[in-house]
Amino acid sequence: MNADHSEKEKTGRMSPTDNELMEAVRDGRVEKLAVLFERYQTMLYNFFLRLTGNRAASEDLVQEVFVRVLKYRAGYLGDSRFNVWLFQIARNAHIDHLRKQKPALSLDGQFVEVPSHEPQPDTAYENDREAELVRRALDRLPVQKREILVLFRFQNLKLREIAELMGVQVGTVKAQVHRALKDLSRIYLELQGGNVS
Amino acid sequence: MTCERTQEKFADYLTGDLDEKGRSEVQKHLLDCSACREDLENLTVVWAKLGVLPEEQPGSAVRSRFYAMLEDYKAAQPVGSKSRWTDWFTFRRPAFAASFSAFLLLLGVGAGWFLTGARPGGEKYASLSREVQDMRQQVALSLLSKPSASDRIQGVSYSAEVKNPNDTTLAALFKAVDSDPNPNVRLAALDALYLFRDRPGVRETLVKSLSVQSYPLVQVALIDFLVEVRETRAIEALKKLIDAGELTPEVKKRAEQGLKQITV
Repeated sequence: MNADHSEKEKTGRMSPTDNELMEAVRDGRVEKLAVLFERYQTMLYNFFLRLTGNRAASEDLVQEVFVRVLKYRAGYLGDSRFNVWLFQIARNAHIDHLRKQKPALSLDGQFVEVPSHEPQPDTAYENDREAELVRRALDRLPVQKREILVLFRFQNLKLREIAELMGVQVGTVKAQVHRALKDLSRIYLELQGGNVS
Repeated sequence: MTCERTQEKFADYLTGDLDEKGRSEVQKHLLDCSACREDLENLTVVWAKLGVLPEEQPGSAVRSRFYAMLEDYKAAQPVGSKSRWTDWFTFRRPAFAASFSAFLLLLGVGAGWFLTGARPGGEKYASLSREVQDMRQQVALSLLSKPSASDRIQGVSYSAEVKNPNDTTLAALFKAVDSDPNPNVRLAALDALYLFRDRPGVRETLVKSLSVQSYPLVQVALIDFLVEVRETRAIEALKKLIDAGELTPEVKKRAEQGLKQITV
């Protein structure tokens, strides 16, 4: 979901914007955080899932983000977009998570598969195979490159928002996205070559 | 345009955020530069491949944990008016002891606060509490409409936590009892409705459910419910059910027992 678009949509429907809700949370109406939770929990969960490849850890990290939002609510200024502020918190939570992790953990081993309860239709098999390949390629990218791609491709953050989030120039983000995509393309082709049966 | 300048525009090119001028500059460069052309082709392929990664839904425990955390946080917050009481009696008391006028002032201010200030605080708390309840109901309704049975059970448990559910939430619970494809969801909804058994319409609607209920386990649970609340309007419905002869032996036995218990 594009944040800009959704914000406009929300404004159009006269629903409170993310910024209004977070200002209310900051000013003591903490129950308003529930609305922000409902808006962002899936987005944050997928952000963490694509970074960590671990469902349980991603769920813990979503909870950690909202704990931190409450902890740091007084520091919310409302002068930047809420999603940028939220993803700053999410990035920090992920960095702390990485610090706690054992360095020897192999990237391939990080994606903990939960067996599906639904029977797998044959038509879905190829898609699943391809998704698995993309996931493995993404896992093999260095974490900084993976993060920038996830933010850009899946979280629908604009280049200028990512630049603000990371504290760098927009031009730097453009170059980083380009390099990350090139590396991902190379890794994907390598994995694909190794998987041809 | 140089290769470097062109490649800088690839990110915007892929998302379609490049303006007309930028796009034509890139396309012009690509006509003359096979390396950049190949580069962009590869990037376009991998960009599309990333789209096959499905968006996943977090487990329902994430929502439960969040709401528990929020409730704990709210409970741990100091109530504004409480600290004002403490402030008055801790810091103003020497003044109260020193002079009668200060005592009167203190008394006046204190009484004024008590009569006027506390009421808006109470209203504010009630309003906050209502908002949390409303939010719970919205979440419950949203979960009750999900395709996954575990989500719907979670929705039932959310609605059970609402102190005074509105008619829409109650209607969703009745619907779950009557027509949810999963008997566990039906049973969970019936349990939740037991909490609201004194609300007008709840018992009558469940008496009607007796005639439409198809799962034996839920039929027994419905009979238990109506016996427990001594619902005399169930007598007729139970008689009809027994006479129709479509019940399993266990349900029929329970219906006959229930009939006796209600009529005693």
